[in-house]
Amino acid sequence: MRSTVEANVPVPVLKDAVKPGQPADKEPAETQDRIGPSREEAETAEYAAEVRNLRMKFPGTPDLLFRDLSLNIRRGEKVLLLGPSGCGKSTLLQVLGGVIPQVTEVPLKAERLHVPDSAGLVFQDPDTQFCMPYADEELAFVLENLAVPAEDMRPRIGQALREVGLDLPDPHVPIGSLSQGMKQRLALASVLLLEPDVLLLDEPSALLDPEGRRTIWDAVRRVAGERTVIIVEHRIEEVLDWVDRVVLFRDDGSILADGQAAEVFARCRARMREYGIWHPEAWSEAYGEPAGEAALAQPAAYRAGGVCEPEEAAAPAAGPARERSAAAPARPAADSAAARPLLRLENFRVLRGGKSVCAVRSAAVLPGDLIALTGPNGAGKSSLLLGLMGLLAHEGSCEYAGSRPSGRRAMREAAAKHAAFVFQNPEFQFVTNRVLDEVAFTLRSEAASALNASQSGAFARWFPRRRLRPDAGEEALIATQASACLARFGLGGYAERHPYLLSLGQKRRLSVASAIVSDKPLVLLDEPTFGQDARNAFAILDLCERLRASGHAVLMITHEMEIAERLATQVWKIEDGALISAESTGRSHTAGLRLSKEEPL
Amino acid sequence: MSAKRTEAASRRRGLTLTDVLVTVVVSLVLGVVYHLWASVSSLAGLLFIQSDELVYGMWFAASTLAFLLIRKPGVALIAEIAAAHLEIAFGSAYGIQLLLYSVLQGLAAELVFAAFRYRNTSAVAAGLAGVAAAAGSLLADIYYGYVAEYATWLILFKYSLRAVSSFVIAGYLMYGLAKLLERAGVTQSLRPVERKEYDALDG
Amino acid sequence: MRSFFVPTRINWLHRANPAVKLPLFILLFGVTVLTHRIDASFYLACVFLALLFLASGYPLWKTALLASGFALAFASASLTMILFGKGSEVWWSLGPISISKESFYRGLHLGFRSIAFGCQGLLFVLTTSSTGLFYALMQRLKLSPKYAYSFMASLRLMPMALDELRIRRDALSVRGAGKGASASLLRLPELYALPLLAQSIRRAQRTAVAMEVKRFDAGRRRTYYYSSPITRNDGAAVLVLSGAAGAALLLAHLLPLFALGDMRMNP
Repeated sequence: MRSTVEANVPVPVLKDAVKPGQPADKEPAETQDRIGPSREEAETAEYAAEVRNLRMKFPGTPDLLFRDLSLNIRRGEKVLLLGPSGCGKSTLLQVLGGVIPQVTEVPLKAERLHVPDSAGLVFQDPDTQFCMPYADEELAFVLENLAVPAEDMRPRIGQALREVGLDLPDPHVPIGSLSQGMKQRLALASVLLLEPDVLLLDEPSALLDPEGRRTIWDAVRRVAGERTVIIVEHRIEEVLDWVDRVVLFRDDGSILADGQAAEVFARCRARMREYGIWHPEAWSEAYGEPAGEAALAQPAAYRAGGVCEPEEAAAPAAGPARERSAAAPARPAADSAAARPLLRLENFRVLRGGKSVCAVRSAAVLPGDLIALTGPNGAGKSSLLLGLMGLLAHEGSCEYAGSRPSGRRAMREAAAKHAAFVFQNPEFQFVTNRVLDEVAFTLRSEAASALNASQSGAFARWFPRRRLRPDAGEEALIATQASACLARFGLGGYAERHPYLLSLGQKRRLSVASAIVSDKPLVLLDEPTFGQDARNAFAILDLCERLRASGHAVLMITHEMEIAERLATQVWKIEDGALISAESTGRSHTAGLRLSKEEPL
Repeated sequence: MSAKRTEAASRRRGLTLTDVLVTVVVSLVLGVVYHLWASVSSLAGLLFIQSDELVYGMWFAASTLAFLLIRKPGVALIAEIAAAHLEIAFGSAYGIQLLLYSVLQGLAAELVFAAFRYRNTSAVAAGLAGVAAAAGSLLADIYYGYVAEYATWLILFKYSLRAVSSFVIAGYLMYGLAKLLERAGVTQSLRPVERKEYDALDG
Repeated sequence: MRSFFVPTRINWLHRANPAVKLPLFILLFGVTVLTHRIDASFYLACVFLALLFLASGYPLWKTALLASGFALAFASASLTMILFGKGSEVWWSLGPISISKESFYRGLHLGFRSIAFGCQGLLFVLTTSSTGLFYALMQRLKLSPKYAYSFMASLRLMPMALDELRIRRDALSVRGAGKGASASLLRLPELYALPLLAQSIRRAQRTAVAMEVKRFDAGRRRTYYYSSPITRNDGAAVLVLSGAAGAALLLAHLLPLFALGDMRMNP
């Protein structure tokens, strides 16, 4: 049964969308026979795709992904499917694209399932859509599948590349040498060779930088023409003014709203925010209009205006985002230690294979700084962080809280004492098989190294009496601390789970939790909001902001200029292997807390 | 059951493209871990004569792990060949003999799994497949390295070490790894879907 | 990393059809494996080493760099045999070590053979692109495209796995795992293999789905972007390579340096 629409949200329903309430009274055996395209039915002509009373379930999970979902897509329509992460919209796209159940087996049944004969599907990850080493070979692979004669291939390859605006002088280039954005356009070109009636796009821009996002959507618009286009996307700025229709899904996979883009958007705005959808106003909704510039530049004056709340008031329900001047105990570091940088770099160069990959003439990080490290891919941002952690060799001077380690080993030890590092892909950071243990691991090794340090002297070092480990009392303490930390990060209910089974946003939060639980003054993050939905991104930024306001310093690589504009105290630009500017944004490192208005997770 | 589903199901019973690609990639990752292992192996080599045989079982791990994950005929052999292919493609000094070793080792492991009718995915079965692969490598060694001309005590010593290490590493260690991957939810989508999952749709 | 394996000169051996070359090199391997006389193995090693440097199409330094691996292959093939091989004419012995005339020459013979194997293998790899090889195997030797494209795709995934290995090493170092008590030797494969396998398996599944979405179907007729013709170059390859092997065996007969018989005790 199609779920009825929520009472408080008036829903525009397209006049020819499926009527609600059609009973699913057919026999299962018969409905299964209907799976797959059934061209013979005349009514089909109008629809590019049609599902009626679709039921679906992932093996090993207790709940149905869809319970009697019905959806029609008319020919030539440009449709955007929206919904919270995990609501099944990508899965639905794979059903419409004929991937499920033909290629991937997922149990499903439907009263009617009409999918296009020729669909072209572009996926999210630019690195997993190709099987050949060179661009032309990849496109040729598609033509080979269609048994196109070899002599016709080159012209068609050239044409497909031109259509998506990928004008390679010689298409025989290694795919690995293309940027992520170019790879996505190559993926689009390769499905165009299928001459599809329907284009299906599964978050094609989610893993791209702003430039890549712009070019892929330009290409999509250019090639769409009369084709039906069905898009799943979490970031809707670039497509909203182009699509005819938006279908908004709920958590449970049912349809909440279905209608014209502007209409749905206007009516279901609150829901979209709750679902973490990146819409054009996401940032200003979360943080208010960018800068009463004065407030940004002079946080003290803003504070004087009287917005002053206790630290714990963690429910910033309505009103503009606030700079909250934290009470004295929360910010011991702010004034006394302000003059003393946590990190100071002079003529610092990070080396890879003996060559400088990132040079910094002079820069400093103060407690309370939130630094956005920006610049094009491959410019040396990640190398800088790795160098700071002592994971790459360096030359020049790097002072951690006044002490200057020399050599990579000393650097690594100093970094271990002063800095926490959050890698881009959380899974690589996990070292245990249980969420709770991830956090406890950090605490445990911290405790062990403290014990080891206390056992000084040459004799003790050479002849340790016993292997140093936290005792039972400390273990209990660690367990309590770890649980508390998980609760703070909204992971309290997942302590026993395998870290890999968490959702994308949860994994990210766990990786941050396990890095910062030991309370290092400097926190380095590699693109923490990349590929995250808005809700998770704001949750991470709130964490960073809390750290900053409590006297830590945060240094994060990001392509998101909004972060640089709204939250950062400094913006460091890296280009061609050098820090070309380190500018203060006007937001002081002593500025008060600025949280998003998102409800905490 | 509909014709469509039967057709799809029968196609899935053999090796699908996904099965083959996953098998190849499992070999690839273990190949990358081999490179770390090679340094362990050369360290272990310093302990005593032939002590590097203690870690030799790692070289058969791809075939048992691939089988434990995919559980279909043929993957053990493909995994061995894929491992050799990557070694050769990236300029190994050992060349084509790796390919022939891999065929012998893979076939030997495959035989053990076949003897269990491809239904036994226990650590012991994997261990025995590892030992069989070790026996396959012995066969190759006899032609390639004249090991039959070693002093008798050395032959016995070397190959019993290798057999033990194969049993432990290709068997127990890979079994543990497969279980971990299962806990981490990676293997779920590699397995055929059970009938009851379809029945649950009617709930 | 892949760019390392691009030849600077293309010659007849590069142009020869891999579907001819592969059986040819397997045949050469067979001939070498069945060589039991040290003179023959010595000349085989010399001839194929020369051929490797002449015909690989790579700069001298690169070939030399790759060939330096032969030293290790030589040592690992010969040393154990020299020190522990059976033999009646004992030159020197200490504890379990017993160097005899027979074991010494047998060890050298194995070393020469391993160089010959290595040269042949490297000559094949350096003159054959993977793409060319699998296209030839599909078109000429009826290899199923399912396997061919999986193997080709794996080459693309290799650099990613190596990158991830490096990231994992860094991450373990940052988290203080993989050293001290937490890194018993047997946990090492798990610590490294689990995240890499999880990533790669998912990546492989996604790649396979993407390939099938592009209508890949191993059972259907397909055309080929690269044709795989048999040309005069194949004739040249057959002649030169079998000529090289023949020449080595002839030299061994005419100009024996060691003049020893079958290297096996009980042939």
